[in-house]
Amino acid sequence: MSYIEVENLRKTFTVRKKREAGKLFREKEIVEALKGISFTVDKGELVGYIGPNGAGKSTTVKILSGILTPESGRAEVGGRVPWKDRKEYVRHIGVVFGQRSQLWWDVPIIDSFSLLKDIYRIPEKDYLNRLQELTDALQLKSFMRKPLRLLSLGQKMRAELCGSLLHSPELLFLDEPTIGLDAVSKLALRDFLKWENKEHGTTIMLTTHDMEDISALCSRVMVLGHGQKLFDGKLPELLERFDTVRTVVVKYNTENPKLVLPAGVVKDKKDDEIHITYSPVDIPTADMLAILQNAGTISEMTLQSENIDHLIAAMYKEMDL
Amino acid sequence: MRAYLSVFRMRLKMELQYRGAMLGGIICQMFFGIVLVALYNALYESKAQVMPIEQVSTYVWLQQAFFRMMVATDQDLYDKVKTGNISYDLCRPVNMYWFYYTRIAAQKLMGSLMRGIPMLIVAFLLPKGWGLTLPHSIPGLLSGLAALFFGLLCMCALENITMAFSMRTLDPRGMASLLSLLMVTFSGNLLPLTLFPDSWQKVITLTPYAQLLDAPIRLYSGEYPVSDLPVILLRQAVWAVILILLGIWFWKKNQKKMIIQGG
Repeated sequence: MSYIEVENLRKTFTVRKKREAGKLFREKEIVEALKGISFTVDKGELVGYIGPNGAGKSTTVKILSGILTPESGRAEVGGRVPWKDRKEYVRHIGVVFGQRSQLWWDVPIIDSFSLLKDIYRIPEKDYLNRLQELTDALQLKSFMRKPLRLLSLGQKMRAELCGSLLHSPELLFLDEPTIGLDAVSKLALRDFLKWENKEHGTTIMLTTHDMEDISALCSRVMVLGHGQKLFDGKLPELLERFDTVRTVVVKYNTENPKLVLPAGVVKDKKDDEIHITYSPVDIPTADMLAILQNAGTISEMTLQSENIDHLIAAMYKEMDL
Repeated sequence: MRAYLSVFRMRLKMELQYRGAMLGGIICQMFFGIVLVALYNALYESKAQVMPIEQVSTYVWLQQAFFRMMVATDQDLYDKVKTGNISYDLCRPVNMYWFYYTRIAAQKLMGSLMRGIPMLIVAFLLPKGWGLTLPHSIPGLLSGLAALFFGLLCMCALENITMAFSMRTLDPRGMASLLSLLMVTFSGNLLPLTLFPDSWQKVITLTPYAQLLDAPIRLYSGEYPVSDLPVILLRQAVWAVILILLGIWFWKKNQKKMIIQGG
């Protein structure tokens, strides 16, 4: 039995539409946020959960963290049903909502932490050890006694992470944790998550729009769109399906290299650089390189695959999201 | 239990940070107190009422001093609903109703003590008929304090109901202003309940609003004899239980129907 088991999970919201002219009452519209999602996650896995805005990512996280109750379907995490016996269940999980805050606005963050200690009934010794560990890993020491309102976004996110991990949860949900962070903070955050996953075997489920997060962290990725699961597997597998175009940029020492290109390959000359666009499905990259080498002496060459964001955009488009 | 005590302590601490707001609150409530007392003095000049003027001014001052306890709202909590930060509280291993109840209690208690005590000292120094008089008796004072505690229980329960409402409407202002209209009228803040016609008083004193401050004040001033204390406390306790149960029911219902909008 897997650690997280989700089967046919459905959730609908009722949205009241604006009243139309001539009608007395507002009409209701039912929005299906999740149309029967199923997946399993093993203990210690680091799973990325992607999809365009409004795909149902956050809804899944909120159901699995015991906040929302689904219409139908089954979900069990470590043998517990999130929306039943919520109080007992949430003791074992941690959640970080990238756009929200759990720490108190105008009291020092250390006080917020000690409140969390009491909320989760963490024994004093465990708390101090864990706090020390997290303080070091997340470099919180310099602003531990400052209130939240004085912290920068990066510092805030680190403090939020610490708050969500104080009780050493088995499972951590991260809902867009890198939103709005600068490059340094993002890298530090990813390193920390890897460390936490490895060191404590914490299962991590992460939703994001930043594909770098996924490629740096997640061994597995799930794609969600229109409330349905569209893909579940390794990131390279996903990319392969949409990564249909490669570009080689070559520079030759030889004057007028004799390039004989097969049909379907586009050649474009810019100054002394030649840009060749081909599809690795039609011509294997090895063959392509052989052709280029036979044409003359190469002085410089770069092989480019398409930008990961473009790939995802292409994928969303193809899946009609 | 530790979680609830801890949030209580934390909220007390937070309240202490707002010393500027405290000073503003004192000045505002002192102003209202003086205007009201002046009004009653003018009224009594032309035609004296059954209730002596000293008692009226004492009533007004006590109402003003604990005004904060009655109507203070925890803006932070409403902001949580508005911004969705409430999501975090919903995934804590605590009972949401009592978690917020203790938070509200801390704010009401600390907020009103910080404002009330300096105000009452100033009011005590004002001339007779304008200021605060000593309690009718020591037992009167003690039973007044007991009744104030039970009144606080009712006030927190009322506030938590408003809070539950705001989860539906997202903005508490409509509901809060409706409730505070009832509150200032029937709690005796606008006009001491003792000055209402006797037949009205029979009904008004039974409402939950009269349990908040009116009952404790009347025990303090000796208008209610100490021997009435058990009946008063019972009435307050019944209301506290009713309001708390109503609040718990409301919260439970909300938790089932909840939507967290936007990401």
